Amino acid sequence: MAVKSRIVKGFISLPYNWSMGPTTTRFYEEFKNKRIMGTRCEKCNRVLIPARSFCSGCFVETTNWVQVSDEGTIRTWVLINFSYEGQPMAPPYITGIIDLDGADVGLPHFVGGVELDDLETVAKKVRIGGRVKAVWKENREGHILDIDYFKPIN
Amino acid sequence: MTQRVAIVDFVQTKHGEALEENVRELTFGVVRKLLDRVDMDRSEIGTMISSSADYWQGTSCSNSYYYDAAGGNLKSGSKVTEDSVFALIYGMMRILSGHHRTALVVGVTKCSECPSENTLTNLAADPFFHRPVGLNTVVAEALQARMYLDQYGPSEEQIARVVVKNMSNAERNPYSHRGGKFSIGEILSSSMMAAPLRCMDVPSTSDGACALLLADEHTARQLTDKPVFIHGIGWSVDHTYIGDRDLLNGALPKAAEMAYSRAGVKNPSKEIDVVELSDVTSFHEIMWMEQLGLCDAGNGFRLVEQGVTALDGRLPVNPSGGLFGANPFVARGLIRVGEACLQLRGEAGDHQVPRVNKALAHSVHGLGGQSHSVVILGN
Amino acid sequence: MAQAVAIVGTGQTECGRRTDVSYPELVYEAVSRAFDDAGLVPDDIEAVVAGSMPPAMEGVNNPHLYWADAMGAGGKPLIRTATCGSTGISLAHTGFYHVASGMFDLVLVVGAEKMYEGDPQGTMATVADPFFQRPFLAGAPGIFSLQSNEWAHRYGIEEKRVRMAAAQLSVRNHDDALLNPYAHIRIKITVDDVLNSRIIAYPVRLLDVCPASDGACAVIMASERMAKKLGRPTAWIKGVGYCGEQAFFSEGDKVVWQSAINAAKSAYSQAGITNPRKDLDLAEVYNPFTFQEMLFYECFGFCDFGHGCDLVEQGVVMRGGDLPCDPSGGTLCTNPIGATGLQRVSEVVLHVTEKAGDRQIPGAKTGLAHAMGGLDQFNGIMIISSVL
Ligand SMILES: [Zn+2]
Repeated sequence: MAVKSRIVKGFISLPYNWSMGPTTTRFYEEFKNKRIMGTRCEKCNRVLIPARSFCSGCFVETTNWVQVSDEGTIRTWVLINFSYEGQPMAPPYITGIIDLDGADVGLPHFVGGVELDDLETVAKKVRIGGRVKAVWKENREGHILDIDYFKPIN
Repeated sequence: MTQRVAIVDFVQTKHGEALEENVRELTFGVVRKLLDRVDMDRSEIGTMISSSADYWQGTSCSNSYYYDAAGGNLKSGSKVTEDSVFALIYGMMRILSGHHRTALVVGVTKCSECPSENTLTNLAADPFFHRPVGLNTVVAEALQARMYLDQYGPSEEQIARVVVKNMSNAERNPYSHRGGKFSIGEILSSSMMAAPLRCMDVPSTSDGACALLLADEHTARQLTDKPVFIHGIGWSVDHTYIGDRDLLNGALPKAAEMAYSRAGVKNPSKEIDVVELSDVTSFHEIMWMEQLGLCDAGNGFRLVEQGVTALDGRLPVNPSGGLFGANPFVARGLIRVGEACLQLRGEAGDHQVPRVNKALAHSVHGLGGQSHSVVILGN
Repeated sequence: MAQAVAIVGTGQTECGRRTDVSYPELVYEAVSRAFDDAGLVPDDIEAVVAGSMPPAMEGVNNPHLYWADAMGAGGKPLIRTATCGSTGISLAHTGFYHVASGMFDLVLVVGAEKMYEGDPQGTMATVADPFFQRPFLAGAPGIFSLQSNEWAHRYGIEEKRVRMAAAQLSVRNHDDALLNPYAHIRIKITVDDVLNSRIIAYPVRLLDVCPASDGACAVIMASERMAKKLGRPTAWIKGVGYCGEQAFFSEGDKVVWQSAINAAKSAYSQAGITNPRKDLDLAEVYNPFTFQEMLFYECFGFCDFGHGCDLVEQGVVMRGGDLPCDPSGGTLCTNPIGATGLQRVSEVVLHVTEKAGDRQIPGAKTGLAHAMGGLDQFNGIMIISSVL
């Protein structure tokens, strides 16, 4: 009997409980007070965010907490205009990597507060090297999305 | 390396959008054809190394589902995952150890059966920091493309030429999933997907499988008149967090340096005759060329514009059509190696490049090219 | 021929419910300990091998890339190996071939799992193919019960006798785990406790079954030249063997179990072992289920087929016996799956280098490490010795 291959629909859904560890937990607890904290590596002197318990380069523990600014510079950015299952919000929106003042590594987050109707005008307001500041949510639960987005300043 | 390891032969599926055969059947198909071509019985295979990924198969322990279909029943074997070039590397190590004379290397992915690349690679981001802001391969690649654009200022037309070239090459490749003649205008009028990337800058995914037989030099010469030798191999990983990395100079130069030094390649742009690289976007073909040391940083798009990387150019890049031709996610790296072999053997048919003595194949996985592998082949 | 391969350092984490650390931090703990043990730093390492169970276990795709920093792997070659339950031993084999090929002199091998973060049995149920077997092979206990029932029936071993031997093995493992600071389940139990525990999947009872653990393990491998240069306590890999079989559980014989037999045979032949019962001083047999451990004795040539129970009854495989098995407390008491096979390797290394502390088997020179995976499909062996 000649048949066409049948497509069987499947759906795998599994629950997870991810341990952040105390260092990441404190990093996000500080978000409730609108503070972005990093840890400084005593060996290479870099300030790392998210705050982490070890420096991967020096392979030593990092326990020295320092506050970094919630303002920074756009290292690079992208205007998202496509959809996928599990996406954080409906497109269009902008994702960037922000080099916060006082941190030696970048923070990936959204860039917002900009009209997205025309790419040409967007590219004038959002640019590499442009300055941004965190816009914090009213209700903060200790999550990366307690920062709503980074807003271009100047 | 004192002993030399050779590729005896290579087989791939006619890649497609949604192939009818299941993963076991696809795998069996390429391995059966390979054994027939080299006139070898399954019992003569030394070891079998496969590459697939569980999330990309909807089956946990993905090789458990096809181990016997890949010719491995009651044989020694293993699975290395996410990048099928790892399977080539591991197969080669097993031969160099002297434990095995031949190694069957297999890669398979059916992207039509799993959630989209965007969803699955978002799950590759850490759950606390990268994932909630929606990082995935395409987003990370767009962030890199923006940096490239800002630093070197290519025009949209110059970048779009990569797509025109690869789609046109793919049309000549009988195994490709897509291909055709496109104008620059058509590419530039495709919708903006993740600015600066348009839909047509990013190859969509495919179904496909491939198999390749490795052997020590002595055995290879008994099995084929046209062995292709692995001259050098290199691979490297970058840091976990994307914000920690130099997104325009990551793990690829390190992987390339390792492969070149093992292959004794001193001047890659002069010594390499053809390149099959993983063009995850049009921008990335250019960026990877530069990071492979095939041209100066910021000069790649000019080479494309000048036709240097065209099928009849001085340094053809992706004569097969690359990932624009077919992109079965995990298997794609091994297909690059296989296509480089076909070029070296003069068996690439309509997409054959003249006078090939040394070829480079490249593979990548992870957000923003966190992991790269590079293979230098010659005959 | 293959370059000789040494193990010059091991690091294990305490296992159990490790909500105190994130997944990468757990990996960092094991890797740091391996570096301390070997007297090395990350810069010394030339290549890294890492792996775990299917990523659905923790819900992070590409775990090796997630752990890259925790392994000090940035800028180095990193390969991920994953072969289900046998991942740990497959990782050890991958590391072995990195060195045996002559390509590298110092390689870090890392396995980890954080099973409290996901749904282990839910994940394992998705190992079976979706068209034919998935509805029936109810996670690992289901499969192993099918197998042990068939084994007892084939050799006409009385149910009471099998259950008693299994219970004794459970007591032995739990006693030994009390001596192992890294073990997860550390409780004193009796044979009656085992026999009266709840049935999970007949005939397997709660105390016949391993836990799901959080844990990580790291091993540092070296070439002969490098090992001699380092001049530290060294164990040598004398043989490796691995064999896989059909995807369909019902296709192969799971009693005279070919993949287990073949894996042992090739490892023995490389190591020059002709009489495993005499030549081995200990064996770390992968024993997530008590019943299955006895089947492995038979496949590995510790005794004739159908005589696995004898070895338990005669005390051969107990601490103080002729061939003590799983003196670490084994997989039965600790099972962070991606790390488990590598823990077997580490434990044998600790014994043959006389660093096993309270659980040391006196005078142990040669041991066997083993892991199994897939739908009763994959078996891998490594023979490790104090002498080159
Ligand atoms: Zn540091």
